[in-house]
Amino acid sequence: MGFISNFSGGQPDLHPIATPLVLVPIGQRWVFETRATFENDLVQLPGRSGFHGGPVQKEVEYAQLDFIANSCVTITVGRFLTPFGIFNERLYPVWIRNLQSDPLILPIGIGPSNASTGGMIRGGFKARPQFNINYAVYFSALSTTSPVDSDRFAGVRTGIFIPKARLEMGGSFQHLLEQERSNLFGFHAIWQPTLLPLDIRGEYANSKRGSGYWIEPAYKLSQLPFLQNEMRRTQLVARYQQFFTGDLVSDALPPINTKQFEFGLNYYFIDGLKAASNYGRQFSSAGNLNVWTLGLTYRFVVPMGSAGGPR
Amino acid sequence: MRRNWMLVCCLGVMACLVRSALAQEQERSDKGSAVVASAGPSTANSNASHDRRSPPALRSTASAERAQRIEGEKRFRTNCGRCHQPPHKFPSRVMATAIRHMRVRAMLTDEDMRLILSYMTQ
Repeated sequence: MGFISNFSGGQPDLHPIATPLVLVPIGQRWVFETRATFENDLVQLPGRSGFHGGPVQKEVEYAQLDFIANSCVTITVGRFLTPFGIFNERLYPVWIRNLQSDPLILPIGIGPSNASTGGMIRGGFKARPQFNINYAVYFSALSTTSPVDSDRFAGVRTGIFIPKARLEMGGSFQHLLEQERSNLFGFHAIWQPTLLPLDIRGEYANSKRGSGYWIEPAYKLSQLPFLQNEMRRTQLVARYQQFFTGDLVSDALPPINTKQFEFGLNYYFIDGLKAASNYGRQFSSAGNLNVWTLGLTYRFVVPMGSAGGPR
Repeated sequence: MRRNWMLVCCLGVMACLVRSALAQEQERSDKGSAVVASAGPSTANSNASHDRRSPPALRSTASAERAQRIEGEKRFRTNCGRCHQPPHKFPSRVMATAIRHMRVRAMLTDEDMRLILSYMTQ
């Protein structure tokens, strides 16, 4: 859960959000998992004091049933987060992401509501002693029922992880089976140098509706020789991103070429409780604007029944 | 035509991955059965004389446990830290469910999952 305050171009927007995740192990090989979002946007209305919001927005982000077939293959059916790139599937929750704003290219390849409806085969295995391979192959059917709408497409994402170098690289490919029937592709990388408390993440995505990239280094100050208790909890983050418009337009993507630089500072009070702040400057031909974000996120775990063991 | 090409590519990739996975599984089960076969009688003896193990045997068990814990911590930091700040340890019943979720989400290998679970529940 989190409380994020966003000031974009001087317009304040308070954003309380709760995203409960439910995991239900069934036997030794099955898992049912679902995540919902309850959020609201509180804004200032002209002529009225205070912040006002509409009804709470409720959404089931995904509800999937996983079958762990063997050590390398897991079969997933239901509604699942589209595995195009890494941000949507692995970095999206407010308590995980380093900067609270979404990358500009996030809507590319993930469908109209960030999720797919269909089936997926995925897994990871040690291909050689030096590296692991992970993969996801998926198909999504067309669904026009809001808010569980999805596009009809098929795709694959694969990656290679070198534990010794702590480097993961991969690529995504997707073919849209409706509308313009176009191909989308992207690349991603995560590198954590072994000698520094530094994470470097980046993604590139390309589609007919636009293309772009983001790169995000995050550095923990744990190596500084003073105030060590505070410094090891403090993280500096930056993100540079660019978006280029494509042949077709999309409501979810910027209408014009845009670049944005953000700089942030996170402080981890205790495990799961994080204060986040960042400043960004967006540059586009429609005008430049400042983006400020302040937030507090908290992740906690509540056991609700007897848990299953690993397979 | 393009859709057929796509389908063939996807099927090819899936076939390669499944074949590689099956070969790996076979290799692992062969290794496992070889280890069990070679360790069978001595395991039975050690069970029978559990309390009478010599100090060197106890030392080797302790060092093996320590090595496993170190390797588990390494895998934990390498895998979990790629996406988020590694959490503190959870109760074992919570961790058993969480690791299954992370196996699917982060596509952990079987070996990584077992070592991380072992480390997180010690």
